[in-house]
Amino acid sequence: MDQRQKKDVIITEGVTKIYAADGIPVNALNGIDLTIESGEFTALVGPSGSGKTTFLNIISGLDSPTEGKVWLAGKVLSEMSGNELSDFRRDNIGFIFQAYNLIPVLTVEENVEYIMLLAGVPKAERHERVIAMLETVGLKGVANRTPTQLSGGQQQRVAIARAMVSEPTIILADEPTANLDSKTGADLLEMMRHLNMETGMTFIFSTHDPMVMESAERLITLRDGRIDSDETKE
Amino acid sequence: MWLILVKLAWRNIFRNKRRTLIAAAAIGIGLTALIFIDAFTIGMAEIMIRTATASFLGDAQIHREGFRDEQEASLTIQALDEVTASLDGEAIVQHWTQRVLVAGMITSPANVSAINLVGVHPPTEKFLSLIDDAITEGTYFEADNSRDVVIGAKLAEILEIALGDRVVVTVAQAGTGALSQEMFRVSGIYHFADEGMNSGMAFILIQKAQEMLAIGKDVHEIAIKFTAIAYAQDPTLPFWDTYSQHGNEALSWTELMSQLTIVLEMTKYSKYIMGVILFAVVVFGIINTLFMSLYERMFEFGVLRAVGTRPFGMARVILFEAGALAIVSIILGTILGFLITALLAHTGIDYTGIEMMGVTMQEFIRPVMTVGQFIIYPIWVFVFTIIAGLYPAWHVAKMAPVDAMRRSF
Repeated sequence: MDQRQKKDVIITEGVTKIYAADGIPVNALNGIDLTIESGEFTALVGPSGSGKTTFLNIISGLDSPTEGKVWLAGKVLSEMSGNELSDFRRDNIGFIFQAYNLIPVLTVEENVEYIMLLAGVPKAERHERVIAMLETVGLKGVANRTPTQLSGGQQQRVAIARAMVSEPTIILADEPTANLDSKTGADLLEMMRHLNMETGMTFIFSTHDPMVMESAERLITLRDGRIDSDETKE
Repeated sequence: MWLILVKLAWRNIFRNKRRTLIAAAAIGIGLTALIFIDAFTIGMAEIMIRTATASFLGDAQIHREGFRDEQEASLTIQALDEVTASLDGEAIVQHWTQRVLVAGMITSPANVSAINLVGVHPPTEKFLSLIDDAITEGTYFEADNSRDVVIGAKLAEILEIALGDRVVVTVAQAGTGALSQEMFRVSGIYHFADEGMNSGMAFILIQKAQEMLAIGKDVHEIAIKFTAIAYAQDPTLPFWDTYSQHGNEALSWTELMSQLTIVLEMTKYSKYIMGVILFAVVVFGIINTLFMSLYERMFEFGVLRAVGTRPFGMARVILFEAGALAIVSIILGTILGFLITALLAHTGIDYTGIEMMGVTMQEFIRPVMTVGQFIIYPIWVFVFTIIAGLYPAWHVAKMAPVDAMRRSF
């Protein structure tokens, strides 16, 4: 196991999640066993209600499984306290949301540097990294703007910058192209693929977008809380 | 880290300006009310004390022991010359006057009424009472005529007499109890807001009163005005012991009008109770505002938690927002409190004629502002606002990120 953990960034063993919906138990996940290796560019697909959301919540430590275990970057999530989990997410996971979800009262720079602030990165270093990251995502010169002054595509670029600036182990992206036109979506996808290849960061997408599915190197299809198929492209 | 949370909180409260302003106005008005109530209470207490002491009582009085209870004409002040000579040398005594007091009857051709007859020494009495200022008809012993009597407007009405009419005053002499009757001419009529003074008192010259009671040069009361009212409220002052000798007793107004002291104490407690009620309203207002703001931004809080903000960090965001709201409210409340209190201190509030525990207000109440009102109450508001923010802060801290972000993945 130790040998695998060094290479495998996510391992799930028998992950099951049972919700009580109006008192009736609903099996959102049914014993998921999965391994995702470092540097993968993976898409999680499946119809609505297939368990994609629940699975992403559990592997990011935002939710806990009813049964089973999750290893992320060598650590068992269920063995961590609330504060340890917060710090672990801060240091190891970058989130990209469908609706960008930037903090509207903070400037672009403040949004991007927020995670580094939590981590106690010195001001000068923060500024340098934010500017470099914004340049990487093609947003030079917008550091002092607020999110509302940006287009949807630009906001999602800021969200990507925020997710990547602290160089996490893994990026979890929820339908990152759903709110964008196809041209902007394609550009962003290309940019994320490029960053994946350049930095070796692991990307996991939850998506319905055929374009994302096409560019993913691995497609995991979920159906009724189980893995229906798991294909890796050559 | 703190700076970004402060920024976040400060900017967040201005995201919904209207709601923040309404909440801040509610809290600010609570603060205004506290400042005003405190200023009004001080003003009212000052007026009540001044009315009680300046009308007739004085800041302190010296009597023979037992006189106040028995009102016996023979109970005159002992060692009077020694006492008066000593009072002349007291640095804290501004003025003093002697009085003769006795219960008697006043009779007119039309009616008869029981009175408290007071023998006064006008040149010194004018510093201790407001009778001379309250004269509405005639004069206040200007003619120095021993047959002059000054009565209240209400008593004149009861006796159906007017200025210049004659009345007969009957008293019982000291020691023998023999009746002594004298005829007087009404030389002055005064009007006081205090009904008791208006209808139940008559003033004559002190020599005439001493003659009627056959008490020689003796007196029943020495009324004293201190250089500062605070001396009267200091029970440790050596003055009280110095003049409570030879069978005499020296008492301050706080003991002479103990009911007023109790009223003033009660007023303080009423102020505290009102403060607690106001703060309770404010606290629920703050909790409501913070929760409204919190539920509106639930997803945002979920994002902050997801990206690694610790539960305590989330609580701090809410507490900083509560603090920011408190600052805005304090600015509003302090300005409003100053303006309203200053305005009413300038115009005064008309309570004249209203009697409270035996004291009839004779002046407008003017709220008194103190520096403390603009320091202590804002601090209270700030602390209470932070305390009110603890519950929403705790709610956010214990919130599971997945619940907040249910709309997420």
